[in-house]
Amino acid sequence: MTSLTWTRRRASAARFWRQYRRQRAGAYGLVALALIALVALTAPLLVGGDVRSVTDAPGTALEAPSGRFPLGTDQFGRSLLGLLLWGARVSLAVGLLAAALSVAIGTLIGILAGHYGGWFATLAMRVTDWFLVMPSLVLAIVLATVMSRSVWTVVLAIGITSWPTTARLVRAQTIAVESRPYIERARALGGGHGHVMSRHVLPNVMPLVLSQTTLCISTAILTEATLAFLGLGDPTVVSWGGMLQDAREAGAVSSGHWWYLAPPGIAIAVVALAFTLCGRAIESVLNPKLGAGR
Amino acid sequence: MVTTAPHRSLRLLLASAVAVTPLAIGPTARAAGGEADGGDGNTVLTVAVSQSVDSLSPFLAQRLVSTSIHRLTYEYLTNYDAKDARTIPGLATSWKSSPDKLTWTYTIRENSRWSDGRRATAEDAAWTFTTMMTDENAATANGSFTANFEKVTAPDPRTLVIKLKKPQATMTALDVPIVPKHIWEKVGDFSKFNNDKRFPIVGNGPFVITDYKVDQYVKLKPNKTFWRGAPKFDELVLRYYKDGDAAVAALRKGEVSFVPNLTPAQATALRSAENIKVNDAPGRRFYALATNPGARAKDGGKFGSGHPALLDPAVRKALFHAVDRGTIVDKVFQGHAVEGEGYIPPRFGTYFWKPAAAQRIGHDPAKAEQLLDQAGYRRNGSGKRVGKDGRALDFRILCHATDPNDKAVGKYLQEWWGELGIGLKVDCLDNVSDPWAKGDYDLAFDGWSVNPDPDFVLSIHTCAALPATPKDTGATDNFICDKRYDELYARQAVEYDPAERADLVKRLQSRLYDTGYMNVMAYPNAVEAYRTDHIASITTMPADGGNIYGQDGYWSWWSARPAAASGDGDSGSSTGVWLVLGPAAAVLLAVGVLVAVRRRSTADDRE
Amino acid sequence: MTTTVGSPAGAARRPGTTATAYPRYLAGRLGGAAVSLLAVLVTSFFLFRVLPGDPVKAMTRGVPTSAGQMATLRRQFGLDLPLWQQFTDYCAKALTGDLGTSYQFRAPVGELIADKLPATLLLTGVAVVLYSAVGLWLGTRSAWRHGGLGDKLNTGVALTLWSVPSFWLGLLLIIVFSVGVGPVPGLFPTGGMESGDETGPAYVLDVAHHMVLPVLTLVAVGYAQTLLVMRASLLDEMGGDYLTTARAKGLRDDLVRRRHAVPNALLPTVTMIFINLGHVAAGSILVETVFSWPGLGGLFYQALSVPDLPLVQGLFVVFAGAMIVMNLLADLLYPLLDPRVGR
Repeated sequence: MTSLTWTRRRASAARFWRQYRRQRAGAYGLVALALIALVALTAPLLVGGDVRSVTDAPGTALEAPSGRFPLGTDQFGRSLLGLLLWGARVSLAVGLLAAALSVAIGTLIGILAGHYGGWFATLAMRVTDWFLVMPSLVLAIVLATVMSRSVWTVVLAIGITSWPTTARLVRAQTIAVESRPYIERARALGGGHGHVMSRHVLPNVMPLVLSQTTLCISTAILTEATLAFLGLGDPTVVSWGGMLQDAREAGAVSSGHWWYLAPPGIAIAVVALAFTLCGRAIESVLNPKLGAGR
Repeated sequence: MVTTAPHRSLRLLLASAVAVTPLAIGPTARAAGGEADGGDGNTVLTVAVSQSVDSLSPFLAQRLVSTSIHRLTYEYLTNYDAKDARTIPGLATSWKSSPDKLTWTYTIRENSRWSDGRRATAEDAAWTFTTMMTDENAATANGSFTANFEKVTAPDPRTLVIKLKKPQATMTALDVPIVPKHIWEKVGDFSKFNNDKRFPIVGNGPFVITDYKVDQYVKLKPNKTFWRGAPKFDELVLRYYKDGDAAVAALRKGEVSFVPNLTPAQATALRSAENIKVNDAPGRRFYALATNPGARAKDGGKFGSGHPALLDPAVRKALFHAVDRGTIVDKVFQGHAVEGEGYIPPRFGTYFWKPAAAQRIGHDPAKAEQLLDQAGYRRNGSGKRVGKDGRALDFRILCHATDPNDKAVGKYLQEWWGELGIGLKVDCLDNVSDPWAKGDYDLAFDGWSVNPDPDFVLSIHTCAALPATPKDTGATDNFICDKRYDELYARQAVEYDPAERADLVKRLQSRLYDTGYMNVMAYPNAVEAYRTDHIASITTMPADGGNIYGQDGYWSWWSARPAAASGDGDSGSSTGVWLVLGPAAAVLLAVGVLVAVRRRSTADDRE
Repeated sequence: MTTTVGSPAGAARRPGTTATAYPRYLAGRLGGAAVSLLAVLVTSFFLFRVLPGDPVKAMTRGVPTSAGQMATLRRQFGLDLPLWQQFTDYCAKALTGDLGTSYQFRAPVGELIADKLPATLLLTGVAVVLYSAVGLWLGTRSAWRHGGLGDKLNTGVALTLWSVPSFWLGLLLIIVFSVGVGPVPGLFPTGGMESGDETGPAYVLDVAHHMVLPVLTLVAVGYAQTLLVMRASLLDEMGGDYLTTARAKGLRDDLVRRRHAVPNALLPTVTMIFINLGHVAAGSILVETVFSWPGLGGLFYQALSVPDLPLVQGLFVVFAGAMIVMNLLADLLYPLLDPRVGR
């Protein structure tokens, strides 16, 4: 790559950032995300991996919030605050990975279908349609049931069921990009399929993919919580959805132990909201006509 | 193993998703929910159940909730005493076996009548058994009881004669509902008949089924002519709650009178609630660790992927030594369980057996370390135990994803065994039966409900229960096949003397313990709660400190007495009336806004 | 669950047809839907054969059962036949509208679904109508005063509620309004659809009483989507030249809004509402679980744990079928509704 393209890319990134900063809600979302990411990354230092240990649990079962345990304890006597902080790691990781997988599949299929057209596009779009009409939660439940309980299962189940929207958007964008004259020129100069797709189409659909990913993450985090709540997550891993499931299994609802139930749900909502705000901000920077930020 | 609840006939007419004009066709009992004292003095006992009814046909029903309903609506030949679960008369008043042990003669009582007025006779019983023997569809649920029957006859209305192919010790524990021949002989295909279309359903138990809505409720009315005396409540309702917490909340509000299967937290919270009694009784289940002894079939074919190190008794013993049963009872069950010993829970005193001091595998992590060292499983650089074949001791354990206890105990095992240098992967599945039947597991959480007659739970560890070939599935629990165990089992199966048989059953358990493939960690209690302002008294089983739901017999609901008129508890319906207007108002509002908008726009057009 | 806020799946599929091409377009869409339905029928058979677990073993677990009884069950369920034969049987039956017999309930799948469908339709239908109405109303208001405090508050609240897991909200509502916290008494039932002993008008009120919390949950979590799409498309319309023209003609401001902007902006929203209606059958699995609602969601969950293959397949066909039909309706209505196409 020439230094010219680099300069151009850097300039456009800077422009993007300037515009993004002007989106107030987006900025809040980003700050919130940075904080949560920091907590997730430093969780081993903040609370230590011991927080998950059941044999060394410091408290007794289901204690109410106190000075020692600000959010109380779970049924094993573990500190809920510690688990909440630790759970951020899994919930965020699953959300990010699942969204990345989903958008990667969607982008690949979208670009290929948009670029090649013909029977391949027809077939690809038929498959996409099929996935679109499938109730995705039902499909994810089935997938999670089929495979063994693990974090990867959840990532796969979410990734495989949620890509069609991205595929459709990317395909439309690919067709739009390829109708531009310079693609014609690139082809005339001997650029093959691979070249056109990776050098011209991909950079042009990237912004769309970025906003799509951000929006996808919040959905993925919610779906992760849903699957864990339905008992389809890995029970040996601490995640927010899993904490809600534990709380329900322990009977926290009827016993009125709201302090067990409330924090994980709020954490999920905050992260999902933060990603949504960021995604909408990116969307409106890239496409002011969408009007999300106006 | 507890799955879900009730059945069929929701006839809600509904034109569209918006216009709601449901017509209710149903009984008109006025009493709200589980209130003991309804508007017209009707006493209703409402029981929350978490299982859906699979079928109301006694020939098909397999779930606990359905078989409990059948206990209430049909008499069995024999029953179990509420005090100590010994066999007592049911439809049969007495019974005797021939000297060759192959012919059993039952005397049928004269004072049992079907709810349509006809007398229940030996002919009904003979027809029920014969149908199960000749029509395999009718054998779906209880065929194991009649598999060994040669012939069943009723020489007169008071005498039932059963001829056996070989002696069978369970002849006084035939848990088979006897159905009225004059109703059931009209049934064509037993595999499709669910017995839930025409109410009331004719039976001769203490209750009669009067109504049923799938996944909502089963309603029963007392059988006024029941020979032991009619139940005291005017109605018994089994109401289905998918969610245990919802059931507990309903109990707190008085919507239901009784809730079984409480979690420790629920029990603790309910202890301090007003008008609620928590009943913490010894359970009938054992909760065990099972190790894969190398899955095999009767034809000798070996299959599955069990870890070879588990074939070494020292490894299994070390694993069991590292398990702290006390902690499991204290932390996981929070005291609502009894530490595990032998195979059969202490509730069944006649058969309960404890390991002797010499054979007992108690909590002793140091001993476990020592055993592993001696057996040649050394720690490698990273602290992991490795076998002589170089394979690390990394095990998988099958856990039921729907059972919180499996998941909780799994966490403890991971840490305890981790300290020994043994890795553990907790494999939680909705459906463990597949890898289990294929032998694709190292360890598994195992548990069975034990009946007053232990024959079945003992039979699942015999060689005869193994699958015929590796491709089949057998009745085996855990692929255990041990000659000495089989000998003892065969002897108890034909032993008609209760004391002799009990002794054999204890020796069986001792042998099972010594094979070291299974280790019982705990006997979970039955934790349940009921409203004392609805139920004044109720019989538990055993009568002294026993449980209420899922008894071997109809004692609890039959004996329950309504509490004297309860004052409050009607918070739901009285405050509810204006509250139900909420959603109606919301719909009206939405419609109103739409209409207003339209009006305005037409008005605008006119201007 | 996966349709992201601000980009309805349907918006990407506006048919660019003219009035004359409509019959052809209609035929194409109908054909496509038929193919999709067929694909769903076929795939649902194979999709669920990979479910782990032997239904017979699972159903008889914990119950004394002999090998002979298991063999009988297998034969009753047709599980002893080779897979291809099971498949041809399934296809032949499905074509005549027979979805098979449930393993665990021993009843025709069609009958079981028909029994539960009204409850689900009632709950989610009312919820979709309500949240669409709320979303449209708030979305319009928001767009008209966009950038103002009201708009920000509106979108903020909607987005926050949209980010909340529905089952969690349901559980909290149960704690607060059903169990009762502090001074709040338990006003609503904890679950189920009816008390079981009311008739006539009292029965209707009783069902409505049971519906309050689940509907509230669904509406709170669901209305954001409608609101945002309505707001965005209305803002889009308001940038249009014809509005300026309309104003120039001297039409009153709110008249311009109602007569011109709103009808046009409704189109993408209506498409989305149809897609939401398609979700009606499957959409409330969580809420049905939390509130013990006797609908299809609970049935699906029970069926999956056995696995009760005919029932799982049947439900899947119904869930996907509802989506296909609603998508078809949206596709068919779109060109008819779009004034830029028809007029």
